[in-house]
Amino acid sequence: MARHASLAIISNSLATSKQVLELKNRDATTSVVDANLFKTSLLTQFAGLLLHLPQEVIATSIIILQRFLVSSASIATEIDLLTTSQLIPEASLVSASAASVYLSAKQSFYPLSPRSIINVYALLTSPEASLLSFINSNATGIIHSSEPPNSRNYHVSEGAYETHRQALFDAESRILASLAFDTKVVLPHTLALTYMQALSASTVPLAERVLAHLNAALLSPQLLYLTHQPNALAVAAIYLAAREQEVALVDDEVAWWEVFDVGREGLGFLVLSMGSLNGFVEAEKVSWTGN
Amino acid sequence: MSSRWTNRDDDEDEYLSQRKKQKEEKRRLRDEKQRKAEAEKANDLNIDEVGRLPKRLRTASPPQEDAPEVTHPFDNSTQSFGSSNTLDLYDVLNSIDEGSYGFVSRARVKGSGEVVALKRLKIDRSVEGFPVTGLREIQTLKACSHLHIVNLREIVLGGPSLQDVYLVMDFLEHDLKTLLEDMSEPFLPSETKTLMLQICSATEYLHSNWIVHRDFKTSNILMNNRGEIKLADFGMARYTGNPPPKLTQHVVTLWYRAPELLLGAEDYGFEIDIWSIGCIFAELLTREPVFQGKNEVSQLSEIFTLLGTPTTKTWPGFRSLPNAKALYPLLNTSTSRKPTLNAARFPYLTSGGLQCLSAMLALNPDDRPTAAKTLSHSYFKEDPRPKPKEMFPTFPSKAGQEKRRRRATPQAPNRGDAPKLEAEDFAGILKTAEHEPQGAGFALRMG
Ligand SMILES: Nc1ncnc2c1ncn2[C@@H]1O[C@H](COP(=O)(O)OP(=O)(O)OP(=O)(O)O)[C@@H](O)[C@H]1O
Ligand SMILES: [Mg+2]
Repeated sequence: MARHASLAIISNSLATSKQVLELKNRDATTSVVDANLFKTSLLTQFAGLLLHLPQEVIATSIIILQRFLVSSASIATEIDLLTTSQLIPEASLVSASAASVYLSAKQSFYPLSPRSIINVYALLTSPEASLLSFINSNATGIIHSSEPPNSRNYHVSEGAYETHRQALFDAESRILASLAFDTKVVLPHTLALTYMQALSASTVPLAERVLAHLNAALLSPQLLYLTHQPNALAVAAIYLAAREQEVALVDDEVAWWEVFDVGREGLGFLVLSMGSLNGFVEAEKVSWTGN
Repeated sequence: MSSRWTNRDDDEDEYLSQRKKQKEEKRRLRDEKQRKAEAEKANDLNIDEVGRLPKRLRTASPPQEDAPEVTHPFDNSTQSFGSSNTLDLYDVLNSIDEGSYGFVSRARVKGSGEVVALKRLKIDRSVEGFPVTGLREIQTLKACSHLHIVNLREIVLGGPSLQDVYLVMDFLEHDLKTLLEDMSEPFLPSETKTLMLQICSATEYLHSNWIVHRDFKTSNILMNNRGEIKLADFGMARYTGNPPPKLTQHVVTLWYRAPELLLGAEDYGFEIDIWSIGCIFAELLTREPVFQGKNEVSQLSEIFTLLGTPTTKTWPGFRSLPNAKALYPLLNTSTSRKPTLNAARFPYLTSGGLQCLSAMLALNPDDRPTAAKTLSHSYFKEDPRPKPKEMFPTFPSKAGQEKRRRRATPQAPNRGDAPKLEAEDFAGILKTAEHEPQGAGFALRMG
């Protein structure tokens, strides 16, 4: 296929520093905002898994959700909800997550019915049945596809379904309006694999680590996908994975990332953020379960 | 950007600054686009043929990941996202046309006075939330940046509770349908070539970016007074893949619909656009739509009259398409028709042109050339050469004045159930056939 540089194939719209600052400053303690951003992203990831969506659609959902939260930072509603330190995210935050999944799926080759989305969110926000340990303290946080969760705990009645459906549609319209319909997301995953080939470093174990870093970065409260272009994310994930596995890329002395249009400073920030994500997640988990 | 969900007074200052912002944004975008294009070129150069990195790289210290105070290195050169603007940035002037899925009017940008076209999408949110067709129209058109595709400026919200969604596009004086109806003579051969080249280049761009348009017809092709056409109406467009996902057959206005769609194929591809462009080619030559069926069956009958009936040799596999059974008598070899696509039908077309046209109108989708291949057809290289667009005549615009005059629009793709061709439908063919010009030399026998 011919390549057309004019089509925005390799770049995304990014958040402005003002947008991110406004979001982070909603609460005196950014840690509350960070925790809620993480929880809502995680909720979205889990919903996507339960709905059997491919990771690219889940990633798109998370990015659309985060774009929405950032771009509506000047409107009180949704964002204020990020500052309450409740276990279960507020209803409209849940709707925003659900609507992001619904919208991304609708625009993909894997559309979903409102019904299936609403059922899965009912399950995930149920204190008894949720698979998320910040909602259900007995949850393992692991999805076993072989044991479907008990459906009685999250049954949605017809009446409640109507209400949820309306909330889903309303949230979808709010998302579209606050993003000016900019729902196109370019992901770094395939780009990373291409770069690895160019670096003659395509091995399965390395690729697995690269993709794992990229998927984890989606959940970063630093909103890495909203502040960096796919090429930078791809390069940082490769850098990190190669270092972990002690794979020497090209020549150690060489600034190979520059070939992919990534500067040292930006790479440094990303490597630091991606690398510190584990620590953040562990600390969060402790705060949920208290041990 | 402030929220469009809260009420705000629309004083002059507000939208003047809005406009300014938008302009700056546009400029930034343009610069960015160029930067990206250059960056991509640079990338292409840096990675050699075998995909290896060149050895001549600068040496450098590793990235400073333990710098004490790291802040987000914001990339200010890229596009940011933010809320939609509202309709009150525009003065609506006059309506141009009411189509089946939208409502188009001419409008002026408050402040700058630029004239634009506004298309209000018909949106029913009650069934599936924001309709996927509307989303696709926006996403596909938004993704395109091409000289021969209409420029989408932005999406704005309007109406009492900002429920209405408008596409703001550059305004073009004409559409090809209205223009052809009003011309006393068809376009000259050299002009036809230029128009076809422009249409095919837009199509090549779409297809190479995995977008299938699915509603090519003359009323969806706009033209300005500078000899340029721009493809519009992405209401049916969508991204596709290889292999294509299961797609709806409710696409393409009947008269421009490819035979595989009429026969019920669900795994069709870019070839359906090529068929429609073939129909447009013929229409440019005669100023009349080439196939004017009254329903799916008579449409097929018209097609077979001009092009002959397919055989398992010319189109292997067509018999297994869902609607082929109902058409058995029509397709029966004993009643098969001979093609009449010839110089008698298109007297002003050279043999090269006829070859190009019949290739695009191949019954078997696999036999149709790609848009890229069409662009390099010898027809475009032979005399008379394509006319430079600067030499095109100008035409009076209908859209500038009152509503564009409309003749009965052929059936747009409807969104009901899949058309099933039953025996009763088939009876219609006999009737239709009676009205057809004699000499096609075929007779239909039931069973
Ligand atoms: N940018 C534009 N400038 C000038 N006229 C336009 C523009 N866009 C659309 N029009 C006019 O409006 C008509 C309808 O627009 P469009 O085809 O996008 O809407 P639609 O509702 O999808 O139409 P239909 O269902 O009839 O195909 C076009 O045929 C053309 O005459
Ligand atoms: Mg149209």
